[in-house]
Amino acid sequence: MANSNPPPIPDDEFSDPLENYDAPVYADPLEEALATRTVTDLAAQPCETISADTSIAEAVKKLVSIHHACLLVEDEGRLAGLFTDRDLLDRVVLEFEDCRDQPLRTVMTPDPVYVSESDCPAAVLAVMAVSGFRHVPVLDADGMIAGIVSPRRITEFLLEHSPSE
Amino acid sequence: MGLAEKFASIPVRELNLREMPTVDKGASVRDAIEVLRSAQLGCAAVMEAGKPVGMFTESVLREAFAQNPGVIDEIVDSHMAVPFPKVYLDDTVDMVLAAMQANNTRFICVVDSEENVAGLTGQKGLMEFVAEEFPRQVLVQRISEVSTNSRREGA
Repeated sequence: MANSNPPPIPDDEFSDPLENYDAPVYADPLEEALATRTVTDLAAQPCETISADTSIAEAVKKLVSIHHACLLVEDEGRLAGLFTDRDLLDRVVLEFEDCRDQPLRTVMTPDPVYVSESDCPAAVLAVMAVSGFRHVPVLDADGMIAGIVSPRRITEFLLEHSPSE
Repeated sequence: MGLAEKFASIPVRELNLREMPTVDKGASVRDAIEVLRSAQLGCAAVMEAGKPVGMFTESVLREAFAQNPGVIDEIVDSHMAVPFPKVYLDDTVDMVLAAMQANNTRFICVVDSEENVAGLTGQKGLMEFVAEEFPRQVLVQRISEVSTNSRREGA
């Protein structure tokens, strides 16, 4: 029977691939936390979701009832969009009588930028800084909704990890 | 200098301040909504005699609209946040963070020493500050593949 183990590497031929690796150096605990923690430390669970087929009037009621500025809009368990205070402002309040019975998908923000559960908090900041999104959905490894990072949570995170706190 | 130290030492005036939209205290909520839509922002200062006396925000609008969709024809000074969160140009960046947390808001009005509106900052300004100061930690991060170039702020 053939031996499945690879032959040993002679000592004089072995080269450690991490020999010249320099571990990152962080100036303070806040920088370290941004780079080394994961989004799961930030994400709110459970998050509030709503179907894309819900009427706009019902969506407005739900948004107000939870006292949050954002609902995750799902379509068969997958993230389809966001419905936020900004969508309400931009597309609903002045047009409410005409649009109240239409499905939410007509006024939601489609295809939002998201992060994965294993991403670090700095990835959330990148989304907020570059894309302008203030609510950042979190997806699990299967692409299903896992949570949402809110502005309040990121503010708390920055304060929690500042040395003066 | 680390990020936290910069928060505690850099003045607000060095942030990328946005122009604060303004509405007159006697304007209607509908007028205020139009101002916010035009500015693509979620917050405007409510002004009286050239000074800010409150803030009209999308969260204030959400709560008022839920109570009465006809609120859009009412006067804005009945639906503004008073007192409103503010920082001074010479305050440090960490005071923006503290004001955001204390007021549970993402918009902070920036005023000069004479209480005139000098700009708008908040969550977006802070995130841009962090990204500019620490591009290695922030801007190299992978984000989902949706193009972000044409997106507006706010969702």
